[in-house]
Amino acid sequence: MPVDFELSTEQKELQELARRFARDTMAPRAAQADRTGEFPEEVYREAWKLGLMNLNVPTEYGGSGLGELDQCLITEELAYACGGMTTSISANCLALQPINIAGTPEQKERFLKPFCSDYHLASFCLTEPSGGSDVAGMKTTIRREGNEYVVNGEKVFITNAPHASLYTLFATIDPARRHKGITALVVPRDSPGITPGKDEDKLGHRASATSSVTFDNVRVPVENRLGAEGEGFKVAMNTLDSTRTPIGALATGIARAALDHASKYSLQRTSFGKPIAEHQAIAIKIADMVQKVDAARLLVWRSAWLADRGKPVPLESSIAKCFASDIAMEVCNEAIQVFGGYGYMKDYPVEKLLRDAKLTQIYEGSNEIQRMVIAKEHLKRVG
Amino acid sequence: MDILVCVKQVPDPETKLRVAPSGKSFDTDGVKFTINNTYDEAMVEEALRMKEEFGFTALRVISVGPPRAEEALRSALAMGADEAVLVETPADLPLDPLLVARYIAAAAKDIPHDLVMVGRQAQDDEAGVVGSALGEYLDLPSYSFVTDLAPVPANHLLKMKRYVEGGEEVFSAPFPAVLSILKGAKDPRTPTLPNILKARKKPLKKIPAKDLEAKVSALQGGAKPTSDILAFTLPPPRAGAKMIEFQTPEEAAERLIKLLKEEARVL
Repeated sequence: MPVDFELSTEQKELQELARRFARDTMAPRAAQADRTGEFPEEVYREAWKLGLMNLNVPTEYGGSGLGELDQCLITEELAYACGGMTTSISANCLALQPINIAGTPEQKERFLKPFCSDYHLASFCLTEPSGGSDVAGMKTTIRREGNEYVVNGEKVFITNAPHASLYTLFATIDPARRHKGITALVVPRDSPGITPGKDEDKLGHRASATSSVTFDNVRVPVENRLGAEGEGFKVAMNTLDSTRTPIGALATGIARAALDHASKYSLQRTSFGKPIAEHQAIAIKIADMVQKVDAARLLVWRSAWLADRGKPVPLESSIAKCFASDIAMEVCNEAIQVFGGYGYMKDYPVEKLLRDAKLTQIYEGSNEIQRMVIAKEHLKRVG
Repeated sequence: MDILVCVKQVPDPETKLRVAPSGKSFDTDGVKFTINNTYDEAMVEEALRMKEEFGFTALRVISVGPPRAEEALRSALAMGADEAVLVETPADLPLDPLLVARYIAAAAKDIPHDLVMVGRQAQDDEAGVVGSALGEYLDLPSYSFVTDLAPVPANHLLKMKRYVEGGEEVFSAPFPAVLSILKGAKDPRTPTLPNILKARKKPLKKIPAKDLEAKVSALQGGAKPTSDILAFTLPPPRAGAKMIEFQTPEEAAERLIKLLKEEARVL
């Protein structure tokens, strides 16, 4: 039996844990946090208490050491309640993954353990004002002085940056060396010279905090370097390879929420003497939404399943992320259409979903980059 | 001192039930079963409190049902139970609460138990029978709808509270005993993710129901269900709401009271 879509009892329990937390703790706070843009840190602390953060930290450092599929199951459930909160809850997985990938046992002990014994946030600092996808073109520099590096530059759109205690930073020892100059460093937030910028006022994911971070002559001990000088590009790419699929799960969760809202509404709302679900124009929309959500989840599961078997998944994870986020936009858009004028109002939940869905097409590798990867990987296999 | 708790896996309260073609049960096809039964969760939490605060040593959990009932057991293990036993019944075996009690009693012969605890009732059939029936089959006293449980292990006594018509009653009685728990002293804990993962390594023993058949047959009622379900129907759809027309709030209140008295007859 080579393929099995049945989840294990334990996976169902993880899913149930996440579903309950999403329903009981996240959902009741989602609309308000969206309206005010506040950072509901007590929700994140509660997520930490239940073990829903730092899912990818290995058990020997106090984490859960979950595989990709398990992470995706949890992420979809959380995102069903609020995409923005899910982004902030999952940001530690992204920020700590470079340490998982390239850290020495001593570094893992030093940096990962505190995240499992107490609530802390970490941020992944890669994107710069001049762009995120063109990683090799980054301008933040590091210069070695004795046993320290001196960091100068600016990072933008950094999730949780104002609240994080630790940054995983990618910077170059020499911009001329392009990707061969990029180096990964672990930088404590309290290092002198670090200034997070203002909290960005965003279209969606408003429960998540996003800001720039400036590094002005920040001194970082050499023992905080992950891997060798010039290996940072590989570390960043490997990190994104493993977090791309969960973003697909996050988008699937948002899309599923839109589908559920639209389905229930279509059964309640009547026009011309019958529930609008019985009008074919609406039923067809629902049918299309069901197909898209289902297909997105299957692509996410396949990519995660392959990754859990140790297979490289540049193609599959890009397909999953790109498809799931594109259909999330389509499904949320159609959900508003099903709601009609009400869907356009902030009193109803679906317009938020559309705003939240939009980001999933942009962050963690824009869908344009995903398509370039998909074409390249595919054509490599053909020619 | 050992505790044995009994749990039942029930359909998710949000799932839509349909009557099976036989007309005597609901169709399990496509039904989502919850991992947890709300009343059982409260009871498991109370059992954990017995272990944590009153010196009971082992907490074992048992369920009678098809293989999927393992999920309910794993959930109790993730909350903190030490071991689990699943009496695995074939899908076509009709079960009623008395037969379930007989299976638990038969299995319990090999499981140490100073306290046997059940939830006040299952969330699906709401029968609330298994606890007192277990008392009969195990030849133990049974106390139902208990709150504020406080054992005095040295004297083998339990102090308990029970709501009675118009008030509450505080009483003490001996154990070993069977208890059905109305509500625990604490809100049930949510199994954390690390505890869910740890629960995987805790022992879960599966006993095929047929292995217990001889013991069950020896109990009064035998290995067949005592009751026979004749028909299973869904509640009639709710009638629509009645809108009250009014000019002033006083008028609205007056009409509402009149309707509650004369039509709904709840006042």
